[in-house]
Amino acid sequence: MSASASPLRQWQLMLPLALFFTVFVLLPLLLLGYISLHNDMELKQAGVAQYFKFFGDEFNLGVLGQTLWLAARTMLLALLLGYPLAYFFTLAPPRWQRVLILIIVLPLLTSAVVRTFAWVVILGRQGIVNSVLLSLAWIESPAKLLYTSSAVTVALAQIEMPLMVLPIINSLSRQDPHLREASLALGAGRWRTLLLVTLPLSLPGLLAGSLLVFAAAASAFVTQTLVGGGQLMYMPYYIYQQAIQSNNYPFAATIAMVLLVAVLVIVTLVNFAGRAVKGVAHA
Amino acid sequence: MPAHTLQATDLTLTGISHRYANTQAVADVNLQVRPGELIALLGPSGCGKTTLLRIVAGLIRQSAGHVVIGGQIVDTLPTHERGAGIVFQNYALFPHMTVAANIGYGLRAAGVAKPQVAEMVTRMLALVKLAAMAERYPRQLSGGQQQRVALARTLAVSPKVLLLDEPFGALDKNLRLDMQIEVKRLQRELGITTVMVTHDQEEALSMADRIAVMNQGCVEQYGTPEEVYDAPETLFVAGFVGTTNLLPGTLASVAPAGPTVALAGGGTMVLPRARPCSSAGPVVLALRPEHLRFAAPDEPGLDATLQLSLPLGALTVHELALASGAPVKVITPRNGEGVRPMPGDKVRLALTDGAAPAVFRGS
Repeated sequence: MSASASPLRQWQLMLPLALFFTVFVLLPLLLLGYISLHNDMELKQAGVAQYFKFFGDEFNLGVLGQTLWLAARTMLLALLLGYPLAYFFTLAPPRWQRVLILIIVLPLLTSAVVRTFAWVVILGRQGIVNSVLLSLAWIESPAKLLYTSSAVTVALAQIEMPLMVLPIINSLSRQDPHLREASLALGAGRWRTLLLVTLPLSLPGLLAGSLLVFAAAASAFVTQTLVGGGQLMYMPYYIYQQAIQSNNYPFAATIAMVLLVAVLVIVTLVNFAGRAVKGVAHA
Repeated sequence: MPAHTLQATDLTLTGISHRYANTQAVADVNLQVRPGELIALLGPSGCGKTTLLRIVAGLIRQSAGHVVIGGQIVDTLPTHERGAGIVFQNYALFPHMTVAANIGYGLRAAGVAKPQVAEMVTRMLALVKLAAMAERYPRQLSGGQQQRVALARTLAVSPKVLLLDEPFGALDKNLRLDMQIEVKRLQRELGITTVMVTHDQEEALSMADRIAVMNQGCVEQYGTPEEVYDAPETLFVAGFVGTTNLLPGTLASVAPAGPTVALAGGGTMVLPRARPCSSAGPVVLALRPEHLRFAAPDEPGLDATLQLSLPLGALTVHELALASGAPVKVITPRNGEGVRPMPGDKVRLALTDGAAPAVFRGS
């Protein structure tokens, strides 16, 4: 080894990624913030009027609230369905796990548009659900399933499910299997073991999955728009509408910044809360 | 003073077999453990001892055979209904609960009221001498302390059978001895039927009332430490337990002096008895190092060249080589009388008084 070939210092190794992050994430965000701090559409006058405009109008706050509430509902539904799926995965024999992981990851391998259109087909007036309900004579005419907030929640929960399931699987797999066995041997049944031992110790994964789904659901433009339809307004579509249709870039940028900060604040708060609990639930 | 009186339970395994995919992990094991007895399942890795333990605990459903605890067939009972407490090598303490919560876990699961749970926890902590650690978390304890908590946690629910899976493997040597004594003392005091899995033969020989030596899923011998050491029933047991010189030869049982083995490496040995194989033919003689001594050239025995002598406290370990080159270990008392050969000398080895080496059928 020659004298000039010294091992790379840590900061040198971080450089490529840091550069990428700066150029493609940080700078656009700063640009966004810059644009939002203008009072007029021609970007001639600087100011915070856009923010006052946003927070001063009930409609805007409603859109923000609806978006965050959608994200929360999606997160809960994904959690309710995703945890059992993850738990079942860890108990399955290796042969089954290979099949299951493919099924779980599949949504990530297809485009969001394709997945969303599948839901449009499923929930449409002539879709699968309506057809089944009609043939069972449970309803007399096709029900309006599509273009409801519930439809968006369900579709989003399914589409973002891998983001919930994978961190939980990771957390569960790293748990010492003897812990569960010890609990059983002490006389605690399977449910008690799950609630008192397995679940608390999988909290880190649970939290990670929940926050990922929350953030993803809040900004899921395609699904919100296609499954929600024109009457349900969420922040991402609002941004699009203001920027592309109304050409009001400062206001659109403001909406984007508000959404960003709102989600960040919630994620940070939940993270802090989680860490306090984690202090006890840590191995 | 015993922490609580236990009705000692017996444990019987009949015809236990278990198969994983292509391997036979356990093959037709029959064992009987008397109430209050401590037995060891001893064997090398992969011999099926841990699988057998897990079958008793109910963590594995065996392919065939029955587990009977206290006269009751428990095959269909899930783990949490069997009353078999298990302590793992890594203790598996619940990291998110205090020591007190860990110990009280089983009692709370059984629905015992809080005050009684607290009282039992205090008693168990006193039993394992960890009263000051009640509110600590497992990660704040040393290995030995964690093991004592694991024991206390298991004993708190008064299990019918106590199962230990290589319990001392994670401890350093000095601590191991202390904990072995501690566990043996507790086990005796409480009179709880115990099955211990270990690959450490010294541990098994010192702690167990009886040892089941296992190899490739089968129990090769089940007896007291003395029986297993002095009268091994198979070649594997002779080789696995303690040090043994395994020398091939031919047995001629009809001889005026007694069973005689003509060794392949040269020389003859006259034995007091030929067991377990007593029929004439090719055999393997299992001579323990302490069965041999240096003898006069006219005594029956075998010839070897001394290579090395290592003094070890009150004993000396000698490494010799037969004419065929095969190594032989001999142990003599350091201050014994008789011949004192030097490295390089040719010596004659004969049996010590009372030595009864085992004879196995050879190929």
